[in-house]
Amino acid sequence: MTRLTGGLIDRNAPLNFTFNGKTYKGFQGDTLASALLANGVQLMGRSFKYHRPRGVFAAGSEEPNAMVELRTGARQEPNTRATVTELFDGLVARSQNHVGPLERDFLAVNDLLSPFFAAGFYYKTFMWPKAFWEKLYEPMIRKAAGLGSLSMLPDPDDYDKGFLHCDLLVVGGGAAGLAAALTAGRAGAEVVLADEDFALGGRLTMESDLLDEAAATDWIASVKAELESLPNVRIMTRTTVFGVYDHGIYGAVERVSDHLAVPGDKVRQTLWRITAKRAVLAAGATERHMPFADNDRPGVMLAGAMRAYANRWAASPVKRDSDAIAIFTNGDDGHRTAMDLIAKGAKVLGVIDARDAAPRFGDYDVYAGATVTGTKGRLGLTSIEITRNGQSQWHNVGALGVAGGWNPNVHLASHHRGRPVWDDTLLAFVPGPNGPAGLIPAGAAAGKGGTEEALTDGMRAAITALSEIGVTASEIVLPKAENMPAEQVAFWHVPGSKRAWVDFQNDVTVKDIALAHKENMTPVEHLKRWTTLGMATDQGKTSNISALAVMAELTGKTIPETGTTIFRPPYTGVSLSVLGGGDTGPLFRPRRLTPTHTWAEAQGAAFVEVGPWMRAQYFPRAGETTWRETVDREVLAVRSNVGLCDVTTLGKVDVQGADSGEFLNRMYSNMMGTLKVGMVRYGLMLREDGHAYDDGTCARMSEDHYVVTTTTANAGLVYRQMEFAHQCLWPELDVQLISTTDAWAQIAVAGPKSRALLTRIVDDFDLSNEAFPFMACSELTICNGLRARLFRISFSGELAYEIAVPARYGHALMQRLMEQGADLGVTPYGTEALAVLRIEKGHAAGAELNGQTTAQMLGLGKMVSAKKDSIGALMSRREGMAADTRRLVGFKSVEPQKQAMAGSHLFAEGAVQNMSTDEGWLTSSCYSPHLNGYIALGFLENGDARLGETIVAANPLEGQSVKVEVVSAHFVDPEGGRLRD
Amino acid sequence: MTDLMTDLTPITALGATVARAESFGALTITENAGLGLASLALRKGQSAPQPFGLPLPAVGKAVSMGDYAAFWTGRDQWMIEAADKAEVDFAALLKAEAPDCSVTEQTDGFTAFEISSTQGPAPIEALMRKLVNIDPKAFGAGQATRTGLEHMTVFLIRRSDDHLAVIGMRTLAGSLWHALAVAARRLED
Repeated sequence: MTRLTGGLIDRNAPLNFTFNGKTYKGFQGDTLASALLANGVQLMGRSFKYHRPRGVFAAGSEEPNAMVELRTGARQEPNTRATVTELFDGLVARSQNHVGPLERDFLAVNDLLSPFFAAGFYYKTFMWPKAFWEKLYEPMIRKAAGLGSLSMLPDPDDYDKGFLHCDLLVVGGGAAGLAAALTAGRAGAEVVLADEDFALGGRLTMESDLLDEAAATDWIASVKAELESLPNVRIMTRTTVFGVYDHGIYGAVERVSDHLAVPGDKVRQTLWRITAKRAVLAAGATERHMPFADNDRPGVMLAGAMRAYANRWAASPVKRDSDAIAIFTNGDDGHRTAMDLIAKGAKVLGVIDARDAAPRFGDYDVYAGATVTGTKGRLGLTSIEITRNGQSQWHNVGALGVAGGWNPNVHLASHHRGRPVWDDTLLAFVPGPNGPAGLIPAGAAAGKGGTEEALTDGMRAAITALSEIGVTASEIVLPKAENMPAEQVAFWHVPGSKRAWVDFQNDVTVKDIALAHKENMTPVEHLKRWTTLGMATDQGKTSNISALAVMAELTGKTIPETGTTIFRPPYTGVSLSVLGGGDTGPLFRPRRLTPTHTWAEAQGAAFVEVGPWMRAQYFPRAGETTWRETVDREVLAVRSNVGLCDVTTLGKVDVQGADSGEFLNRMYSNMMGTLKVGMVRYGLMLREDGHAYDDGTCARMSEDHYVVTTTTANAGLVYRQMEFAHQCLWPELDVQLISTTDAWAQIAVAGPKSRALLTRIVDDFDLSNEAFPFMACSELTICNGLRARLFRISFSGELAYEIAVPARYGHALMQRLMEQGADLGVTPYGTEALAVLRIEKGHAAGAELNGQTTAQMLGLGKMVSAKKDSIGALMSRREGMAADTRRLVGFKSVEPQKQAMAGSHLFAEGAVQNMSTDEGWLTSSCYSPHLNGYIALGFLENGDARLGETIVAANPLEGQSVKVEVVSAHFVDPEGGRLRD
Repeated sequence: MTDLMTDLTPITALGATVARAESFGALTITENAGLGLASLALRKGQSAPQPFGLPLPAVGKAVSMGDYAAFWTGRDQWMIEAADKAEVDFAALLKAEAPDCSVTEQTDGFTAFEISSTQGPAPIEALMRKLVNIDPKAFGAGQATRTGLEHMTVFLIRRSDDHLAVIGMRTLAGSLWHALAVAARRLED
């Protein structure tokens, strides 16, 4: 145990957890990393490429090394950072990326082979022979690489999303963030304060600094209490703001129950979309290291992290209390760590300061003008080599803290391609002036990392932000803080011939950067991709600037001349589950149910998804063994008796106004303005480019009132097209549009006995052919006074009607029709039978109206009226379109029981089958119980002039070739006598 | 107008014979199956009528008066609501009030879910934050809008501080109820 005194852990709340199967104890308030350190565990994982032993390096979300597989079963999650994993009782973690035990990883052999794994290794090695890539190299690399493993089980947890709106979003709850939130909160502004940590305070919780001569936690607690009391402030801990999007929108993930063993009734995480008028970026800073020989051993970590573990978590970085700790620094900040460790009673060897004139702030040894030039210890640091004036000496230490200066967390400020700018005084990049509009950096994120300046800067940022949106905020009284000495020099790495790691997670060394330079991969973007620097899950938070400095040194340029990579969202990894919002399985998208849905369910119907709709596909009866048997029966019932089908899904648009006839004339290619009241006309709509768009019907209910129907698939598109035309093309027309698709339940009543059936439910309405002929429509009442609409239209080619009632009565109407038609052989039919009926009749549907066909191809060329203009009419007459000679015709399999699949292409018998001999394609195909054989529709070159010819329908994907006879598309009643009876 | 005496039995948008109501802590969601709806649109050059005495509201607003209410749905276009008029031909009643306007029956085009709170506006606003990208603080009583909710299009009407109506497409009623109920249940935690 290397637990120190003090800290912000609750020693009255002990917690048990396991790491690699061994049980340890920690406390409430610990992270997995702090608890492991306090148990003397330094070795936490293996590196990505060389499988080098690694320990924890940082104390926050920037952690490159301490990645674990957390939890078990379906909740097992790889690549979880131990540094931000809150300890809970029963936590189970395993190290990852090793074969065999962590201490004896068989793949550590990669480290011995490291001369072969230089920068650009993959690009150089796996290029030949080409065929090996997919079969050998990629699977092999995938197995060896990658960090953790997946459970391969579905995610058992729920995820949520939400929307927030505020005047001021404060990103980060440290000194600057708390000051900003308090300033804005007191001013009455709507404030959202988000911090990725579970506790507020940021760096204040990890330092020993006093505020107003008391522990900083006192001030944090008082600010927290005040913010909680303000109804206009929302505090969101465990919430990472991961990206800045357009128009002041910020993405954030709240880890609602990641700190619990299982979420229980709660969601696991919530994705918040925050719309903020202004935002303050108070994300703090990340410490950088200084690469030196063998700097990656467990026990080597950032000095600021070491200080954080000691102060906040009372955890010492060494395996045994007797082990000494050394600090390697290029500035005053490293000395703070030494002072804090000493204050906690840890054994400190001293501070190795690269500066010749190194200061001393307390009772410890200072190695001025010295550097660390080597380390030893196979699974954890045992000694370091200190070199001063060319003299080297080995010292036994159990841990080494490295303090190379602090990099402001500029990430969010560069999300809109805002380039950070170099600050020579701070030796760091700070947010540039061209970052996201409305985002104001403050505190350490703006390069103002001293406690007092961070507090003041946070307050200033809030006042500025609010003044921009017309809210006056006053200065608040801030606690007195001491700005610690923060002198430093530009010292970036210790030159040497041994490997010195820059990017720990991706195993990129100074040598790799030198090689990239030698191979002319000097622009930072190339450097990154050639060496994989900064491309791991930590996105190089602790390595990017050091790498730039090394490259700058090699090229003889300054760091700003060398450039900087900018950052894209997300700031830290975001799970796909939370981005998906938790909608999975049947809840993946909303489902539209027809008014007869529950009735169809009760009949045992099979359903099919048609866009968002669930439609009855067919209604199996006892004894039927195949769907075809069911569909054949349904089709024959319509042809011989009467069938019922819910066709509510067809789009319905109510068109009113004095100019509604003229409007529809312009929308549809054929004439609609001349339609008589009480009649329906089939209509064809073209796209602007002249291709067929949609077909439907227009029913004229009165002089200035039409009810238009569209296909199911295009209902929304056609309505939108109409609104566009109405609002933008012809706003002068007196037209009012509104969708009524859902308002009316519409049932097709089709078959020779349909009139007989309807006669039984209408109230005093003459259904005779004379009074209500083919293509008539009327309002009427049925079933003792229910208002309804009746249309005599037919998709099946039989005598048929569609009857519409207010949707709430659709269910009852279906039941009534079934009861009343029992003796007529009434049969419900689904979309399969509907499709067979329309193919038999040669009616076009979605497969024929696929956006690539024209009115002429459909045999509807005459519907494009030359007497008026309409959308697409002119374009449909252009040369290439008008010359297309493919025509919609029917096909009968020469061997009737052999199906030619839809999608098959058409060729002359005996012809070579390729693009140049292609004569068209089949669009729809089905078994026709009426003709006792397979039939199809399709487009064939000069098809209408080739009736009787035998050709081949080829489906090379399935190796099929079926002989078909070209016939009329109207397999049933070509004269149309039945529907006019 | 025809008062219906039909012998057919209607079902609600959620497929039952009685309207659904369920409470989640301070929130109660009720299927308002009795709400009559009809759209009213002005013809070219017309000025707005006052059907049932309702002064038709401006952009983004809703008004109510006794059993009748209206909310703005587009330029020169409103939805008129009438309590307990779902079973009658409400469009015909409205047409009689505004004979020169374009009126379209919409009662069964939609389903109305009334969400009320027993603890003031906070639970309503918390629910909104989970469902719609609308700022509840800028959407007080008397406001109406059309927005997206779980991939569906809905009308929102803040009938009062502690009462929000969500009116969605009838055929999506099941999915809409599910979305509202899940969000409300999660707020109970």
